[in-house]
Amino acid sequence: MDPAAAAAAEEEGGEKPPVIYTMENKPIVTCAGDQNLFTSLYPTLSQQLPREPMEWRRSYGRAPKMIHLESNFVQFKEELLPKEGNKALLTFPFLHIYWTECCDTEVYKATVKDDITKWQNVLKAHSSVDWLIVVVESDAKKKNKTNILPRTSIVDKIRNDFCNKQSDRCVVLSDPLKDSSRSQESWNAFLTKLRTLLLMSFTKNLGKFEDDMRTLREKRTEPGWSFCEYFMVQEELAFVFEMLQQFEDALVQYDELDALFSQYVVNFGAGDGANWLTFFCQPVRSWNGLILRKPIDMEKRELIQNQEATLLDLRSYLFSRQCTLLIFLQRPWEVSQRALELLHNCVQELKLLEVSVPPGALDCWVFLSCLEVLQRIEGCCDRAQIDANVSHTVGLWSYATEKLKSLGYLCGLASEKGPNSEDLNRTVDLLAGLGAERPETANTSQSPYKKLKEALSSVEAFEKHYLDLSHATIEMYTNIGRIRSAKLVGKDLAEFYMRKKGPQKAEVYLQGALKTYLAEGWALLVTHTRKQLAECQKQLGQIENYLQMSSLLASDNHLTEDERKRFCQEILDFANQQAESQGQKVILSMHSFAQLKTLHFDPPNAVVHVGGKLSVELTLLSQMPIPVQVDQIAIYVHFNIEKNSYRKTAEWLTKHKTSNGVINFPNEVAGFPLSRNNLPALELYEMYERSPSDNSLNTTGIICKNVHMLLRRQESSTSLDIPSGVTLEDGAHMLKCNDLILEPGINKISFKTQAKEPGTYTLRQLCTSVGKVQFVLLHIYPIVQYDVYSQEPQLKVEPMTDSLLAGIPQKVKFTVITGHYNMKSGDALQLSNADAMPALYNPEIKAVIYSNTREKISESSLRIQSSEKITSISLPVTPAYHVIEFELEVIYLPSTPESAVERENTVNKEAHRKNKEKQKPDNRMATVDQKVTIDCPWSIYSTIIALTFCIPFNAKHSLLSAGKRKYVQVCVQNLSELCFQLSDNSLKNSASCADLQLVPLNPESQQVIYSKQSIFFVWELKWTKELPLSLQCLFSVSFCPATSEEQSLSLKPFTYEFQVENFFTLYNVKTEIFPPLGAEYCKTGSLCSLEVSITRLADLLEVDKDEALTESDGYCTTKLMYEVVDNSSNWAVCGKSSGVISMPVAARATHKVHMEVMPLFAGYLPFPDVRLFKYLPHHSAHSMQLDADSWIENDNLSVDKNVDDQADSSSIRSRSSLHSAASGEHKGLPMPRLQSFSSGQVFNCSTGMQILVVPSKDDHVLEVNIT
Amino acid sequence: MAVCIAVIAKENYPLYIRSIPTENELKFHYTVHTSLDVVDEKISAMGKALVDQRELYLGLLYPTEDYKVYGYVTNSKVKFVMVVDSSNTALRDNEIRSMFRKLHNSYTDIMCNPFYNPGDRIHSRAFDNMVTSMMMQVC
Amino acid sequence: MADEALFLLLHNEMVAGLYRAAEQGEGENGRCITKLENMGFRVGQGLIERFTKDTARFKDELDIMKFICKDFWTTVFKKQIDNLRTNHQGIYVLQDNKFRLLMQMSAGKQYLEHAPKYLAFTCGLIRGGLSNLGIKSIVTAEVSTMPACKFQVMIQKM
Repeated sequence: MDPAAAAAAEEEGGEKPPVIYTMENKPIVTCAGDQNLFTSLYPTLSQQLPREPMEWRRSYGRAPKMIHLESNFVQFKEELLPKEGNKALLTFPFLHIYWTECCDTEVYKATVKDDITKWQNVLKAHSSVDWLIVVVESDAKKKNKTNILPRTSIVDKIRNDFCNKQSDRCVVLSDPLKDSSRSQESWNAFLTKLRTLLLMSFTKNLGKFEDDMRTLREKRTEPGWSFCEYFMVQEELAFVFEMLQQFEDALVQYDELDALFSQYVVNFGAGDGANWLTFFCQPVRSWNGLILRKPIDMEKRELIQNQEATLLDLRSYLFSRQCTLLIFLQRPWEVSQRALELLHNCVQELKLLEVSVPPGALDCWVFLSCLEVLQRIEGCCDRAQIDANVSHTVGLWSYATEKLKSLGYLCGLASEKGPNSEDLNRTVDLLAGLGAERPETANTSQSPYKKLKEALSSVEAFEKHYLDLSHATIEMYTNIGRIRSAKLVGKDLAEFYMRKKGPQKAEVYLQGALKTYLAEGWALLVTHTRKQLAECQKQLGQIENYLQMSSLLASDNHLTEDERKRFCQEILDFANQQAESQGQKVILSMHSFAQLKTLHFDPPNAVVHVGGKLSVELTLLSQMPIPVQVDQIAIYVHFNIEKNSYRKTAEWLTKHKTSNGVINFPNEVAGFPLSRNNLPALELYEMYERSPSDNSLNTTGIICKNVHMLLRRQESSTSLDIPSGVTLEDGAHMLKCNDLILEPGINKISFKTQAKEPGTYTLRQLCTSVGKVQFVLLHIYPIVQYDVYSQEPQLKVEPMTDSLLAGIPQKVKFTVITGHYNMKSGDALQLSNADAMPALYNPEIKAVIYSNTREKISESSLRIQSSEKITSISLPVTPAYHVIEFELEVIYLPSTPESAVERENTVNKEAHRKNKEKQKPDNRMATVDQKVTIDCPWSIYSTIIALTFCIPFNAKHSLLSAGKRKYVQVCVQNLSELCFQLSDNSLKNSASCADLQLVPLNPESQQVIYSKQSIFFVWELKWTKELPLSLQCLFSVSFCPATSEEQSLSLKPFTYEFQVENFFTLYNVKTEIFPPLGAEYCKTGSLCSLEVSITRLADLLEVDKDEALTESDGYCTTKLMYEVVDNSSNWAVCGKSSGVISMPVAARATHKVHMEVMPLFAGYLPFPDVRLFKYLPHHSAHSMQLDADSWIENDNLSVDKNVDDQADSSSIRSRSSLHSAASGEHKGLPMPRLQSFSSGQVFNCSTGMQILVVPSKDDHVLEVNIT
Repeated sequence: MAVCIAVIAKENYPLYIRSIPTENELKFHYTVHTSLDVVDEKISAMGKALVDQRELYLGLLYPTEDYKVYGYVTNSKVKFVMVVDSSNTALRDNEIRSMFRKLHNSYTDIMCNPFYNPGDRIHSRAFDNMVTSMMMQVC
Repeated sequence: MADEALFLLLHNEMVAGLYRAAEQGEGENGRCITKLENMGFRVGQGLIERFTKDTARFKDELDIMKFICKDFWTTVFKKQIDNLRTNHQGIYVLQDNKFRLLMQMSAGKQYLEHAPKYLAFTCGLIRGGLSNLGIKSIVTAEVSTMPACKFQVMIQKM
């Protein structure tokens, strides 16, 4: 039966058959007038109308919509028209059409007109203005008509009669049933008109309706106002929109209602409750969840209509409508999301309104609802879609799981021994609240209703359903990567298993969860889960794991003191079980039991000699809440001998391994995921890149040297969980410490050991035994080692100063390293004395004894006995591996002949070298090595030690003469850094020559000679008779360091031996210069006469015996060559500057030579030099023929060359030979040789004389030709 | 108004977490930890999102029967999670958002505190007070 | 601007001070560099926290690098990075043709040997910033003619 009719019936009063709301609802259009005509057109019409969409412009600025119009054409009845105040919209006729095909005026006048009028009046009466008159024409009719008026006239008439000023209310439809273009056009025109009118009507009427609705809503504060009534009104609107396929708008209506209601609830919570609301607060009696399978849940709607709905009813109905619309709108995921909110919301609202709900009822409701929603969605989506949108639905799944779980717990279905009687009663009540299953789900096997009923029916059924749900949820969570949520559900599952005494099933879930929490560092969750896991492991009898877990918990400060104590006690109880049960020990990781904080060695450098004592002190932080009695703490030590490794020699160890002896261990940060702090530090360096060509800087910058390390992927470290399979190394070496009590917190435990084999010992593991339990620290890191070494005894002798000086007492340090040798009393060092170097005994010498680590142990005075051969130093009694140190004063006496000679030579050589190169003074001291052999008590072989001494002084001598008088000069130079005091110098003539005496011209007093300073000593030689050719002299001066006070010890003086030869003066050379005759002074440029007079001072001597001497009848002469040289070139020597003279060998024989010289400058000019040589003819034969001058001219140079050398020569022999060689190679042809006299043989008495030269009047430069 | 406020490091361990009443602290820890799932989801989803949607405030992470859990993530991948009592319907999104802003500001201050070593747990009087004020703040 | 001057001067002093200290102790290459870099790291962490407080969330790595080159650089050095290059495998090269911290020192190769110590801090700055944005990286630097310089960022794939 169609709604219109129904509505009509309603209007008639009497019985009320309910309106069936189906989606077939269409807006109603009434048809009056020619029914047959309409029926003939109806099919075309109803089919044509929806074909074209029409734009619907709407009020309230809503967006215009294109809609396809359909309508439900019904015959016009007056009853269809709504009376005043009737709010029904679905039954509201939106348009009234009058159909006619009358075409002749008569008929029109007769019947049609009245009919229309009547129709119009009825409409007017109900003030409905939405009408249309359709005039249908067909040519067919016209044919048989005779008197035809122009067809238009009828239409015109109608227009005149009815549609005053709105002529469009009357349309013509021509030949509707023909298939002609004309008829088509008219159809279109008609349809358009029809649609327009319909829409106009909608807009008008809906607008009016909404206004009314609004006014009604505004009244909501008034006392009488009822939500339910208002609900019905707005829903009416929703229905219409739905009818017009405007689901969005429809949904809006429901959402508004939703919001309105929620607001009321909130306000109620806030205190002001609307009275109508109290009526929703009636206790919940039925909790059969949502029903979403029917578009409209009529039962609930009626409840609302009749104001009997509970809150749940209202909510359920409201949601079911929203759901329906959302699904029309293809938004199923919104459904699931809204569903979750709804469910939570309802629970809250019931709380808020303090509605009384039987325990579990809500759980049932929620559970059913969740499943209903899920099934509804599954109903309208394919698998793929669902899988793709798990994230939207999974919430519902887990909610359902949760609820089912709590139901299970409530009804005692989750316990080991099924439900008890009251559980059963509760279950029955709950099931009662579900009522009977709905018809629409009755035949679906998996309906929520059936599921719940079944789940509650038995323990097994419940388990099955609960597991299904849980696993499904976990899987979904896992698939969409919500691991944490999955783990949480897993933990619920674990709890369930635990309740059912199925720990083996629970464990895996707990472990899984624990791993996650550890990895992400959530301490509280870790603790909680560990507690559960511990319980689980206990039930499983996994003793080891359980104890490990207990130790973790006992050390966990997130637990209360009591809990911690309890777990700690658990461990101890187990540990102290009598070992009558098999004695296998349980090995646990230590880090939870106690932490190794620091380790301290004594000796601090962790180096000890064989047999030495080593102590190791551990600082253990006990994590246990109570003191723990420990049977033994052991450190497992790994030993390895590092042979021939330099770094393990005693010296190296004692020197280099200087740590403060304390090793600190990093405490692992509990709670932080390791990933945070296991990154190695960057190794950044400055980079300088130089260009290969010139290595100027090309580029600089910063580089990172350990990129490879850093860029490696971090694999998630699982080092936090308990190391399984802890194993102990074989305890070959170990340090033990027995029976002690570990107090909570810091404990210090010290281990003592005596070093045995030399080598390196590495502390590997730490093990604490408590009864049957052993806590093991697998790796002691950072690596801790100590070294044991053995050492040979040895003796070192080294000077205190950087160099030892001869002649003065100096300290020498003796170092005896005892090594493995123990110094017994009577052990002594035997020094075999070299009398050049006696050891000076000093009573207050102290020997200091150090330990090998250089700590001073003791001091004892030293007993030294000296026989003439041996000095024995008796060493103090000293244990092995100690060092004895003492200082001994020694002095080196450079006096014993052989050594003296040796030295003298060296010194003389020195002298020569000096003479050669004057310009660079040489400060190197002559050195002497002195060997000492020492016998040590620990070996049969004697040690030989060489000490090097330096002679601090260097001496030179020279001969000086004045006429016949002779002087000897000795120059002493101090090469050392020290400064000395020189005293009682002396010069002795070793050759015993009676009448020669050396008269010192020196101050007797002491003199101080500073470092790098020289002092000169001079003696005059006096004699009466004949002199020896050569003179052996010995210079000696005693010295002592100027600083040192004690003169007590008698030091040997410094001596210097030398000889002088041919020192007796043979010739006296005198030079004079006279101004020219008549002149008072010499003038520059004017010739002056130079007179050289050579006088023989002695008669024939040994010296003269050489080939120069020619003897004729007892009257001998010798040949001399003189030479006038003026190096200062003040003089021009005119004529021959040199010549050979023959000199009679007799005292006072004189030879004078004249020549002319010209002063070149004015002033006091020094005289030119005059030199004298022996002239040795090469061959007396033809030497004569040679013109002396000719070759002398040339030879001049060669002679000049040597002038400097001759000035002060100490050894004439060598000189002459040298000279001859020189001249020899100078000329091929045989030539006479020149031989200069030894210093002192010729005395030039006018050396250093000067003569005044005045400048010449005329100052013109004059030419002088010089030969 | 908030019953639990948590700051979570980028590595997902808690830098700071406080809740009232303290007796069901554990429960809150679980809630917050689980909520990280959704945070991750939203963050990863953010990659594709348009600029204007890339707000630091993540909105409601998920509701539970008695609590609403909201999330916020800084650019430094530090997460703020706030748990609010569901009955507390007066709280609008904007208020939550502004509360998060306050959290973020004072977290930033901590980061710039010389005595704070990034990554360590937060022990700051100022921060505590601020959190307390958010929890006390009755509406 | 004053704040800028302050930063520059402070930075110079920091470098100078550190190296002076190193001369007393054993001046082993790299130690100062590392110190400076670490300072920069911490500063970077703090700065990035502030700078990104009000920005939208970053889309991806590149997005972040752009931020460093634009906003971050501008705030610290008052100019943008002039050129950013990448191989799309986690290596980025940031080039600054007028690097603030080198501007005062030289224009060319003079004093090139001193350049590194003035880059270390900035390397740290970048690394710190990135790490706080959840990107582990290694930052190195290179100068051939001042005041231009390049920073290379190697990103550690997690």
